[in-house]
Amino acid sequence: MRVWDTSHLLDTIPADRTTAEQSFDQADSQANIARIRLHFKQLQTRLILGLVLGFLLPNAFLAAYFHFEFTHTLKKTAMLNLAAVAESQKNTIDLYLQERVVNLYNLFHSKDFTLAPTPVQMENYLYYLKQYNDGFVDVGFLDAKGVQIGYAGPYPTLLGKDYSNETWYKNLFSENKNYLISDIYLGFRKVPHFTIATRQVFDGRTYVMRATLDPDKLFLFLRAISQGKEVESTLVNRQGQYQVMDSGRSRLPGSSEYIPPDTAASGVEEIKRDDQPVLVAYTWLKETHWALLAMQPVTVAQAGMYRARLVLSISFIAIGLVISTIVFFTIKKLVARARRMAEKGQQLQEMLAHASKLASIGELAAGVAHEINNPLAIIMATSGVIRDMLNPEFDLDHSPEAICKELSVVDAAATRAKGITRKLQDMGKSRVPCSIPCDINALVDEVVNRLKKVEFKSKRIEVVTQYSPEVPHILAEPDPLRQVFGNILINAGDAITDKGTITISTEAKEGTIYVTIADTGKGISPENLPRIFNPFFTTKGGGKGTGLGLSIAASIVKYLGGTIMVNSLQGTGSLFTVLLPINVQATTFKEQKK
Amino acid sequence: MEKQRGFKVLLVDDEDIFREATARQLTVRGFNVLTANCGEAALPLVQNENPEVVVLDQEMPGMHGSETFLEIKKINPLVEVIMLTGNTSVENAIELMQQGTFDYLMKPIDINELLYKIEDAYTRKKLNEEQQQDVGL
Repeated sequence: MRVWDTSHLLDTIPADRTTAEQSFDQADSQANIARIRLHFKQLQTRLILGLVLGFLLPNAFLAAYFHFEFTHTLKKTAMLNLAAVAESQKNTIDLYLQERVVNLYNLFHSKDFTLAPTPVQMENYLYYLKQYNDGFVDVGFLDAKGVQIGYAGPYPTLLGKDYSNETWYKNLFSENKNYLISDIYLGFRKVPHFTIATRQVFDGRTYVMRATLDPDKLFLFLRAISQGKEVESTLVNRQGQYQVMDSGRSRLPGSSEYIPPDTAASGVEEIKRDDQPVLVAYTWLKETHWALLAMQPVTVAQAGMYRARLVLSISFIAIGLVISTIVFFTIKKLVARARRMAEKGQQLQEMLAHASKLASIGELAAGVAHEINNPLAIIMATSGVIRDMLNPEFDLDHSPEAICKELSVVDAAATRAKGITRKLQDMGKSRVPCSIPCDINALVDEVVNRLKKVEFKSKRIEVVTQYSPEVPHILAEPDPLRQVFGNILINAGDAITDKGTITISTEAKEGTIYVTIADTGKGISPENLPRIFNPFFTTKGGGKGTGLGLSIAASIVKYLGGTIMVNSLQGTGSLFTVLLPINVQATTFKEQKK
Repeated sequence: MEKQRGFKVLLVDDEDIFREATARQLTVRGFNVLTANCGEAALPLVQNENPEVVVLDQEMPGMHGSETFLEIKKINPLVEVIMLTGNTSVENAIELMQQGTFDYLMKPIDINELLYKIEDAYTRKKLNEEQQQDVGL
């Protein structure tokens, strides 16, 4: 079964197309090009947005995630590093103090030790101590009552001083320790210093050997062990008072802003100092109630992290920019190429359509020539006959009746030519929008009844109708619609040689009216099926058909927004289906009518 | 009275009125005219009546003029064929002439022009027959 429909057919272009129509075509072409350009511009924007959303944003989120993870890890590492530095320095200070205590303690066990040392002996003791560490300032020996009975050092007035009421002396006995390292204080000499004291029992009486350490020396020592670590270290007591100080000061150093908690042996915290974030690691010394504070500004502690973050950020931005630039220009280039191809395709399509229209015009012209020339040939031949009749040489019947008979042939041929030109005009003329609601069932029935009286009369054709009552009215000119169904039905009748059936049915579904006309005629050959809607195509000889009927029908249906479909099997019959769109206004009309 | 030309012309055209009118004009001019309304009807006449010249319409239902021409040439290669049509193009005319038609005339035709073409065609047929006889000798 071969199927053909008219929806693909090009509009038939009248040969006398006006300049205005051609100008419209050019404007249409430019509009198409503008549409293509707009489409590709939108495509380019969408692709670039897609790139940003699909590539850059996820990467930015990923980079942000890694950045925060990296920052957290590096901060933790910086804190651990600072804690390690503080611990190491604490150990060094502890060892330093232990050594000084041992140095002092050893004096009790020297060979020339006596419970009433002479000034020379005391000078020897001081010399001995300074050999181990130049931080020792002086040395004194206190009897069981706490009176300094021996002294060597820069403050000779201290000889004979009673220390029994001094805090450090009391603490030495109250804490029940063999040695004590005091906090920094001014004492009798009114100079900041701290005391190391050891005690030893002789004959039931407790004697004390004390020495003074220079806070400047401890400060220098601390600075020396902190060097190269970009860490600022200091020592504070439980109240947060500094225990080391820069040289040249005669008063006690101040208090630290940060007081380390004594609930933990060590720890690291971030504090604000001069509005700048600073990491502080604290650790309590073993030898005395001091804490070592190691401080490092966050910017210094996390300098590596900041560098890494900067490099990462710059790399990400640079890579993002490079990739975006490459992709942007690649997209732009590809889209431009695709756009050019689409424009070229559009131009080719238009050229093809134009060529096709020209071919249609050529075919139409050829058809017109053939159909007009045939009646003209009859006219000329018949006029030649009349001329022969009037020529005495041929001795023919030239009575008025005989000549009138020939002239009627001429008239018939002229009428035939006129009919062709009228049909051509019908096909080409523009139709104005119609406002008459048409009842398709009634219209088809009317056409069938007319054909039964004339065209179908000579054959035994049975017409079966199956009209659906649900078919609505449509707005259309009734005459062209009659032409549509009339032309199809005439062809159906012509296809039936002697006896056959034509079945007509109507149906409305999905916004379309389906009118099917099936015949049991000879059918259409596969090679003719694609040509049946071409103007002047006919298989009826002898001037019986102009080949315009189906062409006109297709033109009318196409104008109404519909299409004609054909199924045909040679030797069995054909099925024509006319599809007409249902327009809303007409439906409303029918409802109003109800 | 027009002279009797004494040779047969077969006129093939599906347009009954044109065919009959032209036949009448040719008859009064001394031709022995045979007519057929389609290609299929023309072939037995070529076979049995042996016309000298065939005037053949191009556009016909059923067997097309070009097809009919080839079939006629199969039956009698010496018969001359003049093609008639209501529609032609130079390419089509050249193609048919290359296939061996004598000439090509476009409707509507002047009877005198057709007359001259038929006489020329007849002359060529005779010349061709003589040539064949010479070769045969």
